[in-house]
Amino acid sequence: MQGPLIDTLVRQGVSRRTFLKYCMTLASMMALPPAAGLAMAEAMAAARRPSVIWLPFQECTGCTESITRSHSPTLEGMIFDMISLDYQETLMAAAGFQAEEALHNAMRDNAGKYLVIVDGSIPLGQDGAYSCIGGQSNLEMLKEVGKGAAAIIAVGTCASYGGIPKANPNPTGAVSVSDIIKDKPIVNIPGCPPIPVVMTGVLAHYLTFGSLPELDAKGRPRAFFGETIHDRCYRRPFYDQGKFAKTFDDEGARRGWCLFELGCKGPVTHNACATVKWNGGTSWPVESGHGCLGCSEPDFWDAGGFYKPLSVPADPLKFAAAASVVGAAAGVAVSFANRARKGAAKSAHETTTLADLEK
Amino acid sequence: MTLDAIPIHVVNQSPGEPGLTGNAPPLLRELAEQVKRLLESGEPSAIDLSALPLTPVDLDWLRDKLGSGEISVTLQAGGESTLNETACPGVWWVTHRNEQGAVTAQFIEVAWVPELVKAHPQDVAIGQEQLELLISDL
Repeated sequence: MQGPLIDTLVRQGVSRRTFLKYCMTLASMMALPPAAGLAMAEAMAAARRPSVIWLPFQECTGCTESITRSHSPTLEGMIFDMISLDYQETLMAAAGFQAEEALHNAMRDNAGKYLVIVDGSIPLGQDGAYSCIGGQSNLEMLKEVGKGAAAIIAVGTCASYGGIPKANPNPTGAVSVSDIIKDKPIVNIPGCPPIPVVMTGVLAHYLTFGSLPELDAKGRPRAFFGETIHDRCYRRPFYDQGKFAKTFDDEGARRGWCLFELGCKGPVTHNACATVKWNGGTSWPVESGHGCLGCSEPDFWDAGGFYKPLSVPADPLKFAAAASVVGAAAGVAVSFANRARKGAAKSAHETTTLADLEK
Repeated sequence: MTLDAIPIHVVNQSPGEPGLTGNAPPLLRELAEQVKRLLESGEPSAIDLSALPLTPVDLDWLRDKLGSGEISVTLQAGGESTLNETACPGVWWVTHRNEQGAVTAQFIEVAWVPELVKAHPQDVAIGQEQLELLISDL
């Protein structure tokens, strides 16, 4: 086990055994054969640091936070030493013309070989004027930088599927990376934010095998997004037994029963939260008592309400149409009554109930 | 109506306590094959337990069958790892934990010595420098 990466890690106090153990665990999580851990450690230790250009578009920087602050100090963070991060406007010391120069130097020196990481969606409205960097629209920048890329990694749901900026009514005309770039390999790592180890896993796979990992129909690495949250959820046995929490503070909730009826989107969400967990393996949303929001799926923001069970019709427009058939007048009356109650609740500081959240 | 009224009964019902899926016993055959390979060619191998559909009861059954051997290794590297030889020499039960103590991966390794236990030549070289420093201070 020799090479630039392991030398850097050893200097930072990470022992070879720690690194080998990490690679073995990573290989296991990526469903690679057990022997791959050692091969991965050897290959990554010796890897020549590829140039990486990170483009932040219409985003909240949550994805960057997730990866750089996963828990410190981490190997996930330190693995970033194995890439040469040549442009990341949030993290880099340079600004203005110097930053743009660094971007163009990296593109010129590593043409056809650099990796591009994108977080954030790309607005198409008003000729892309909603989001510009150095006077260049995100759309133009992605096309220009994408031209010389070996591959593009879309980090977060915004870059992968449009995410929250794309939520109805999508005021900026936001689209995903794969809506624009058609001729390059693209890996989607959705999640709001995505799990840090998935990012490391994709980079590790690229460095070890020189290729991108196997992807599912939505462009996500199969190793991490192959199964639903529901399939790997520790509360699954309660679902099978028909034991459901009906509110967030009833007996069932206290006993840790299934959150399906409280709107958990676990059954239709593909992600690795249930196995990898968050905050260094401490917990994850369902374990802390809240249903899955489905943040790694396209259009999760418009999926019909976070607290509505999957079995309830999801499309609010269709729901309204059905109501109008029953009686438009009644529908209007109900909506006025709801509005009045919401107003009254607001002025009286009443406790918000589950039903209030659904209006 | 009781369950007996349904004219279907399970064939090859898995024996023993509830929770046993019957997925563990075939692993013993795989291990036997891997031990044979180690003896013949010296080639080490491993079974990734987290990648298999095994219940906690299955794992306990397997751990119980394999028994405990003479060597237990505890490794402090990014959390604790235990590498315990089973009653079958050359078969190691390996559990990796993170800093918080959660199990991150579990393997059964078939090897003379698991790779993680061996000291790396470059670490040994650093140790040699350290020794020389100690001697020069005498």
